[in-house]
Amino acid sequence: MVATTTGAAAEHRRPGPRGGTERRGRVRRFLDRYWYAYALVLPVVVVVGGLVILPLAQGVFFTFTNINEGNIANPVLGREADYDVVGLANYLNVLSGDPAYGSFWGVLLRTLVWSGICVAFHYGIGLGLALLLNRPMRFRTLYRILLILPWAVPAFVSAFAWRYLFNADYGLINWLLGSVGLPTPVWLGQSPVAMVAVIIVNVWLGVPFMMVALLGGLQSIPGDLYEAAEIDGATPWQRFTQITLPGLRPVSSTVILLGVIWTFNMFPVIYLITGQNPHTRILITYAFERFFSGATRDYAIASTYGVLILSVLLVFAGVYLRALRSQEAD
Amino acid sequence: MAGVSYVKASRVYPGNPPVRAVDQLDLEVNDGEFLVLVGPSGSGKSTALRMLAGLEDVDEGAIHIGGNDVTHTPPKGRDIAMVFQSYALYPHMTVGENMGFALKLRRVPKETIKAKVAEAAKMLDLTPYLDRKPKALSGGQRQRVAMGRAIVREPAVFLMDEPLSNLDAKLRVETRANIAALQARLGTTTIYVTHDQVEAQTMGHRVAVLKDGLLQQCDTPRNLYERPANSFVAGFIGSPAMNLKTVALTSEGAVLDGLTVPLPRSVVAGHDAKTITFGVRPESLRLTGGDEVGMKLTVDLVEELGADAYVYGSVDIGGTAERFIVRTDGRTPPSIGSTVNVTLRDDNEVHLFHPESGARLETTKAPTA
Ligand SMILES: Nc1ncnc2c1ncn2[C@@H]1O[C@H](COP(=O)(O)OP(=O)(O)OP(=O)(O)O)[C@@H](O)[C@H]1O
Ligand SMILES: [Mg+2]
Repeated sequence: MVATTTGAAAEHRRPGPRGGTERRGRVRRFLDRYWYAYALVLPVVVVVGGLVILPLAQGVFFTFTNINEGNIANPVLGREADYDVVGLANYLNVLSGDPAYGSFWGVLLRTLVWSGICVAFHYGIGLGLALLLNRPMRFRTLYRILLILPWAVPAFVSAFAWRYLFNADYGLINWLLGSVGLPTPVWLGQSPVAMVAVIIVNVWLGVPFMMVALLGGLQSIPGDLYEAAEIDGATPWQRFTQITLPGLRPVSSTVILLGVIWTFNMFPVIYLITGQNPHTRILITYAFERFFSGATRDYAIASTYGVLILSVLLVFAGVYLRALRSQEAD
Repeated sequence: MAGVSYVKASRVYPGNPPVRAVDQLDLEVNDGEFLVLVGPSGSGKSTALRMLAGLEDVDEGAIHIGGNDVTHTPPKGRDIAMVFQSYALYPHMTVGENMGFALKLRRVPKETIKAKVAEAAKMLDLTPYLDRKPKALSGGQRQRVAMGRAIVREPAVFLMDEPLSNLDAKLRVETRANIAALQARLGTTTIYVTHDQVEAQTMGHRVAVLKDGLLQQCDTPRNLYERPANSFVAGFIGSPAMNLKTVALTSEGAVLDGLTVPLPRSVVAGHDAKTITFGVRPESLRLTGGDEVGMKLTVDLVEELGADAYVYGSVDIGGTAERFIVRTDGRTPPSIGSTVNVTLRDDNEVHLFHPESGARLETTKAPTA
């Protein structure tokens, strides 16, 4: 309301004939009309700037230096900072794939496989459960609540519960496998089996979100579309592919994008279940290892990994969104 | 092409008490006929239609299409096409794909589909929109796409559930005529659901009136208007509604204020109650000078429609004020608040019903053929 009245008042002040005056007049008019909106978003801008933009800028700056625990400013020891700007050396080292710098390409590949497998299972199982829960049945609400539960439990609680389940000697899983005569692997040891274990846990954790989102999507598809398709002669499978999947597309595309981003950076599951284990190492856990452990805590390389993760995700999101948009257009 | 029949078909929703949404419906629809199902909200029209489509179970009785019992056939096997009230267009398909979807599912060759869609689009003036998505169409265009989707199928029976209710009044009248013309041209058996009795009367070859899941009457629009089978149909069909009053009955006839309408001997003799439900349409009443016998009507409202005017007023009958509607000449309507004298145009233009059952009591007037 306020903005409109001031805007109307500003309308009467004619901008001058010359360009400069006119532009100033336009800026003034713009502020006159929208100052209220800017005043409202200002606190958010300040907070986001302080909490996101500044650390991000600092992180990007570190990637061009050789900063580590030994040369960072340390007020406790009364030591000045004496790290140097090293240009692109960090990027060159990391991207060379040198094992001393974390075998970047191998870890990237593992991260992609991990994200792909997890999100595929999240989506597949989530959709299956959503379809089951979307049909009328007794105790439907109860089932829905039970299936959402894993999501509500803090990740570290579930992680520790799963560690007990996966225990090679006393865990429930091996006990069950053993009792039906199947092999009982050492789940969380230094072997690729550990990767299978973390994928199982992450799938279990991520399904509820997909299920809830897709259930919402299913409920937004009008029922008469199914009736129309039934009359048009569609089989149940054709109704699924021709009505359900296209109807879910807006929801699916969003949750898959989110799922990939979250899984790509899913630090807690891997770290809490297997700790530092080269067989479950993904980009984000390696950045953490580099930052918090090792002989010298290598802040520069950790930051470089951080920036590379961000870049990979930005490229992915950009390509993904563009593909979606072009699909929508035709 | 096929006829349709409901044979004592019922749909009972479980519950306490169970809802008999459609109750023992017996209805025969001839091949090529345009039948309208009409009734107030909740009367079971949609349910009856959906039973025929196979979207609703038939709990009792049977349904036949083209002589085959389809009571337990899924929708796919019934050779019907339905136009939904919401149109139910597939949002992610273009207009052309929407119209060709059923054929595509039946693996009709692409070229044939294209030709049939183009033909239907031409018939419905949809050719420029074939490549658009439904959300980029106006309400009237969407309605036509829904029609087109049904036409392309060339089904044995068209089913339409209030297909015009989302259109504005003018477009509704226009589309009404278009649908009737299209049906006449295609000659496809059509069952059309509406709650609008004007729509029913103008479109249907025959009109079936439903109330509380029970069929009240099924007849041509003219017969429905002139010989309603009961007081419900009498009040439902016609706009403005028939004046229906339950009044005292004497040996002279029905007593209305100052006016006693002589009734046919056959009716009075066969009727032993002290009262009778008396119905007279607004156009069967007229205003008269003060010297003729008539009812004293106090005018509450005058609805001027140009050529005609409807006078709404009340008459004191046996101590209670009863509302009456009278059609009169639009050029000289009475003023509001005045009292006018009203009488019947013709003593034969009355409808008589049993005061309790509502069933029609035959007057001497011969039924129109
Ligand atoms: N799933 C259901 N369970 C119980 N009762 C139902 C159900 N569906 C419909 N009914 C009842 O069946 C009756 C008929 O419903 P129907 O939809 O056929 O009415 P209608 O004549 O089409 O009305 P409208 O003009 O409002 O569309 C209504 O009384 C309704 O309450
Ligand atoms: Mg209905």
